[in-house]
Amino acid sequence: MNPLAVLIALVSLATGGLCAACPNPEVESKTYTTEDGTVITNVAYVAQFSLKCSNGAKEIPLYAEVGGKTYPVVLYGRDHYQVSWAEELKSSGSGTYTVNLFDEEGYGLIRKAMRNNEDISSIKPLHTISVRHPGTYQGPWLNSEFLAVILSLIVWYSAFSTKSKLLL
Amino acid sequence: MWKNSLLVLCALTVGTLSLDDNDGGARLLVSKQILNRYIVEDMDLIVKYTLYNVGTSPAVNVELNDNSFNKEVFNVVGGYLNIKIPRIPPATNVTHTVVLKPIQVGFYNFTAAEIKYQKSDDAAETQEGISSEPGEGYIVAFRDYDKKFSPHLLDWCAFAIMTFPSLAIPFFLWWSSKSKYDSFSKPKKSKDN
Repeated sequence: MNPLAVLIALVSLATGGLCAACPNPEVESKTYTTEDGTVITNVAYVAQFSLKCSNGAKEIPLYAEVGGKTYPVVLYGRDHYQVSWAEELKSSGSGTYTVNLFDEEGYGLIRKAMRNNEDISSIKPLHTISVRHPGTYQGPWLNSEFLAVILSLIVWYSAFSTKSKLLL
Repeated sequence: MWKNSLLVLCALTVGTLSLDDNDGGARLLVSKQILNRYIVEDMDLIVKYTLYNVGTSPAVNVELNDNSFNKEVFNVVGGYLNIKIPRIPPATNVTHTVVLKPIQVGFYNFTAAEIKYQKSDDAAETQEGISSEPGEGYIVAFRDYDKKFSPHLLDWCAFAIMTFPSLAIPFFLWWSSKSKYDSFSKPKKSKDN
């Protein structure tokens, strides 16, 4: 058998397998994260996106992988999707989170790789969305009343030391 | 502790609904939690739904509808309130988070979300259930919240400006007399030398 033909067959199989659910995906995404942490107990990360496939496929079961954790993607309507998760205030950091989207086949590969402790970055996602989180404001770094007390102490100390110097 | 009691509550609500047919299949427990310390007007309100399948087969075509948020009281800023999950395998957690912003002040009763699903792939009838209820909460006006928790920088600046004259005027009086006497005493010293 011609090795070239085998290679072509393999490549077409692999790419065909990857793009079976949604060829040429067109993704429009919108993300929201909670930046004010003064009233909340957890930080919420929400990524919403609409997905258009060139084969007109709709309501595709999708899965997302963020930082080594997998989440199912929920559907809204026929072509709107959402990935969301919440993290404790203490453990959440600022930065950009990459949401890798997978179809069922890719999700199977991811689960298998996770079970066998293999590298999951080699599995090509259907699409990626980045969720930027600028950080969560958790109140002022220094309390203003504390600052006021310190300032008044400085004023009092300078006045008191000058006075005691004069009376010597 | 709170989470556990919530789960028990959901178990009760969903459990009573499906008492009549103990034929196995999927069973979903749904908890609805509000992840806020305070609910403040025009600030984020996080609602987290946790769906857990305690049954033996996957729940199919799960629909979660939450119509408990009045559009006149809340704006949705992130996420969808009416969602579909194609499949929840047994012994699996699925979470869903929505961020809202209250636009009105006052008491609000946070009631349950509704859920519909099929107990297995070939189940004809749909199973219905409700989530746990977070209960009544009070939406605080932003002004009141700000009064209590803001750093009050402007107020402290005003306080500093108001106290400044009473400190600065005596100081300058003393300073001017001191520099006057200093200028008297210095030439004397030079004469002595």
